[in-house]
Amino acid sequence: MDALIEKLKTQIIEQLNLAEVKPADINPDAPLFGDGLGLDSIDALELIVLLEKHYGIKIQDPKDGKTIFQSVRTMAEYIKSQGKS
Amino acid sequence: MNKAYINGTGCISPQHTADDAWFFDRIVAPDTDFMQAIEPSYKEYISPNLLRRMGRAIKMGVASANMALQQAQLTAVDAIATGTGLGCFEDSERFLMAMLNNEEQFLTPTSFIQSTHNTVGSQIALILKCHDYNFTYVHRGFSFESALMDAMMWFSEGKETILIGGIEEHTPCYVELNRNAGKLKNPGNIPLWKQHTTGYQIGEGGAFFAVSQHKTIHSRSVIEGVNTLYKPETPGDIMKKMHAFLERHALALQDISLVLMGFSGHSLHDKKLQEILPDLCETNQVGHYKHLCGEYHTASAFATFAANRMIEKQEIPEIVKINHKPGEGVKHILIINQYLDINYSFILVGQC
Amino acid sequence: MSQRIYISGLGIISAIGNNVEETFHSLSQARSGIGKINHLTTRYRDEFLAGEVKLSNAELADLVNDHNPQLNRNSYLAMKAAKEALVNAGIDPKDGMRTGVISSTTVAGMGKTELYYKDMVEKGTHLEVLDTHDCGDSTERIADYLGHVDYITTISTACSSAANAIMLGCRMIKQGLLDRAVVGGVDALSKFTFNGFNTLMILDREWCRPFDDTRTGLNLGEAAAFLVIEGEEALRKRGGKALAEIVGYANTNDAYHQTASSPEGFGATLAIKQALAMSGLQPSQIDYINMHGTGTPNNDLSEGTATIAVFGDKVPRFSSTKAFTGHTLAAAASVEAVFSVLSLQHNLIFPNLNFKTPMKEFNLVPETTLVQTPINTVLSNSFGFGGNCSSLIFKKA
Repeated sequence: MDALIEKLKTQIIEQLNLAEVKPADINPDAPLFGDGLGLDSIDALELIVLLEKHYGIKIQDPKDGKTIFQSVRTMAEYIKSQGKS
Repeated sequence: MNKAYINGTGCISPQHTADDAWFFDRIVAPDTDFMQAIEPSYKEYISPNLLRRMGRAIKMGVASANMALQQAQLTAVDAIATGTGLGCFEDSERFLMAMLNNEEQFLTPTSFIQSTHNTVGSQIALILKCHDYNFTYVHRGFSFESALMDAMMWFSEGKETILIGGIEEHTPCYVELNRNAGKLKNPGNIPLWKQHTTGYQIGEGGAFFAVSQHKTIHSRSVIEGVNTLYKPETPGDIMKKMHAFLERHALALQDISLVLMGFSGHSLHDKKLQEILPDLCETNQVGHYKHLCGEYHTASAFATFAANRMIEKQEIPEIVKINHKPGEGVKHILIINQYLDINYSFILVGQC
Repeated sequence: MSQRIYISGLGIISAIGNNVEETFHSLSQARSGIGKINHLTTRYRDEFLAGEVKLSNAELADLVNDHNPQLNRNSYLAMKAAKEALVNAGIDPKDGMRTGVISSTTVAGMGKTELYYKDMVEKGTHLEVLDTHDCGDSTERIADYLGHVDYITTISTACSSAANAIMLGCRMIKQGLLDRAVVGGVDALSKFTFNGFNTLMILDREWCRPFDDTRTGLNLGEAAAFLVIEGEEALRKRGGKALAEIVGYANTNDAYHQTASSPEGFGATLAIKQALAMSGLQPSQIDYINMHGTGTPNNDLSEGTATIAVFGDKVPRFSSTKAFTGHTLAAAASVEAVFSVLSLQHNLIFPNLNFKTPMKEFNLVPETTLVQTPINTVLSNSFGFGGNCSSLIFKKA
């Protein structure tokens, strides 16, 4: 799980072009949107593509992103639950 | 249409214009067919969270808009009008290439969103929380002129402060394609107005102006008029329209301190301007500017920026002069631009 | 100085017809033009529906009688619709009056660029496509096709573009800068826009269902639509006939998000209110609203909320006609301006197709059948990326 979380952090930074952020800066339990990393709905769509590109997971309804993308940990748990880690 | 007082400018160009110093003293003349903009550190002007998504056109546009507003000491405007020939081409190209290379899969929305032509104008509105009028003009060599005219129309409809600008970026790939198409050249040491071969040096940049209907304590010069001319047939047509334009502003050629002409170095595109040049040199101090910024859709925005500086400093630098006519002061500058011998325009900038 | 602005000519080509007459017929028969993709090459051909113009590029070239290889689909559509509008108005562009051409587009020449860009980059062929990629190209084709123009420009403000072209034309005539103008917009379908909207996850796989609770997105369409607008003096001087009057227009910005509309529809409310104020009409005097109504969850909620903010519990009869044509992006506002004029001329409200279930958030029910009722005023909304919001108000001439 921890390895997946670390990998995800790097992939998120790359996908969202977060040049100022380092993996260590991201708390795996902190919210990705709003107060945490300050991501928005465009980033949510980027994260959907990240899941498809790197993990072969297709999300059809953008609304599902809300629960999956709460934090890096919830993302990792979702990937595990899909048997794709 | 009313006059537009320039209260603040921001310009990112192939010259050292970003700090708004007298850039004519340290001219950059790259020995290539592409004049790239000298970009400032954007962190001073744009927050990192926004910067991470922006292509160069957006950065140049938002940063130069910011400079113009800071100079005019404005935090809000009544309208925003921008001009761009190709829009955010870097993002368009990124999305296009990803689409073609990945056979329409794994595409992400960011570059598509940013590729929309009105991204610069809408980003500025978002940053300023400006709920007012917001237009983006995308008509070749009339893009900046249309935005300027729009502002001048609004001034007679009651708006007070407006932000206008022109932005163009060129990607390495786009430049390469134009090079392969035989459109570009390095003009070398021959002045642009004397060239006998086709091709031009391509340029890019962003120039924004905070303009107002009334003169303010920040006013530096005034844009007195703008007029566009689509596909004039003869040099005589240009002269006729030019005289009519000046007349509408109660001026004649002898009142013009500098005629600033948009020679691109492409002998076919420049042909009509070359033909009217001797007559203009008889009567007026004549100059040119595309050796400083290159040829692009919104080069006239750079010319307007340069004219504002000259009027403010009351000096016509040697680097722009085509002939030498003794004259007193810099009262009015008439910019005559041409783009591809299709889009011609007049912009009149005066002392205020 | 300020004179009244009349519409004196209409021209349109879209999924529901190649001219005004065919368009009116489809609208009255409730016949949508959205269906399986035929002309556009995309891997999503069988996955999504679209509102395509039912002619190939070769057929379009025949229609405009111009076989210049540099013309692209955007130019064909634009030339076709602009010419129809001018002929409809009975205007000779060379009669000495000052004529403007103000067009708008978002996709411009991308439909052709995307076919050849790899060849251009990798093989160095098809480089002439560079010359027709930009937004100004189709506008200049219109001008050259019409033969004379005193002013020309192109606007691109995403899905509100054509409304803004109409607005600029009105302002220029009122300021005495032009006597009349051909105003409107064009967008041909492209793989680029298709994939772009797909990444935003706002394309519906079924027929779009504006204002329906089960809506999940829009269908893309392609179209060109142009209006001839004239100042009252110019119209009187040449003895032209007014089809409708433009009495209100406004452009505002939501300044909320790059693509999404604010939940409360701030920019939209402002645009509708400003257009109403200009027209001097009370909200109760609006007989019909042609909504932007794209069918995306976000737009319809935001627009509905704005409508209630302006009209309270007395919302006029309304419909979205996007389920006929698909969302034609830059052309949408001029397409719907043509529909609005047809509404005024025939006293008809065209149905909001595919609507079944009202949205949970409010009690707004569009007209779902063709309604014959006196229509004296129509409000038409168009909203776009970048928060761009425009509203137009048309009145019976």
